[in-house]
Amino acid sequence: MIQFTPEVVEAIITTASLIGAGVAVIAGMGPGIGMGLAAGKATTAVRRQPEARGAIITTMLLGQIISGSTGIYSLVIAIFLIFS
Amino acid sequence: MKHIDDPVRLQKEILKKTCYLAVIPVLYSLVSGEWATLLGLLFGLLIGTLIFRLRLINIERSLQMSEGKATSFIRNRYFIEYAIYLAVLLVARKNPAVNFLATAIGLFFIKFTVIGWVIIDLIRDAFNQKLESFKR
Repeated sequence: MIQFTPEVVEAIITTASLIGAGVAVIAGMGPGIGMGLAAGKATTAVRRQPEARGAIITTMLLGQIISGSTGIYSLVIAIFLIFS
Repeated sequence: MKHIDDPVRLQKEILKKTCYLAVIPVLYSLVSGEWATLLGLLFGLLIGTLIFRLRLINIERSLQMSEGKATSFIRNRYFIEYAIYLAVLLVARKNPAVNFLATAIGLFFIKFTVIGWVIIDLIRDAFNQKLESFKR
């Protein structure tokens, strides 16, 4: 069985934490792409049905608020991983 | 919530409800004398509220663009917001006078309000439907 010195084990843990933080930050970019697509479709919907503008904006606002929280989750996890 | 079609009114209602909901942890941290938690909560709430306001302005601007432009515009704005969140959380982590978790909770408060409001609306609708069917 391979025996690692404590320094090597610490280096492995630090590297794994940093890789995890990077993956978490990349995961937080997903909602941006989704929000952009939703906004594009909302523009088309408002052109097609201008009287529903208010309903479209409110629905999109609520959707963006909820999907935006994923980004904060990922940032919190990434910062925990980097600084712990 | 689903009966509100005016975005500005919806925004005001959400902010009002967030203020009511935020009174509980703010008072708790005041009474218990945890100043770092209080500062973190207020910091997170302030930034969360301003980003929420910015988001509505961005949505209204994006509706005057073409589909492709609106997609890239909102996506770029989201990355700017993401950078602001990162800066806020890093400041909270580095500064010992500000509690990191309280800042994160402050940033989440508007989301908690919206989710809570939707759940309460759902429960109320289900209860009213049951009541109507019971009356019939």
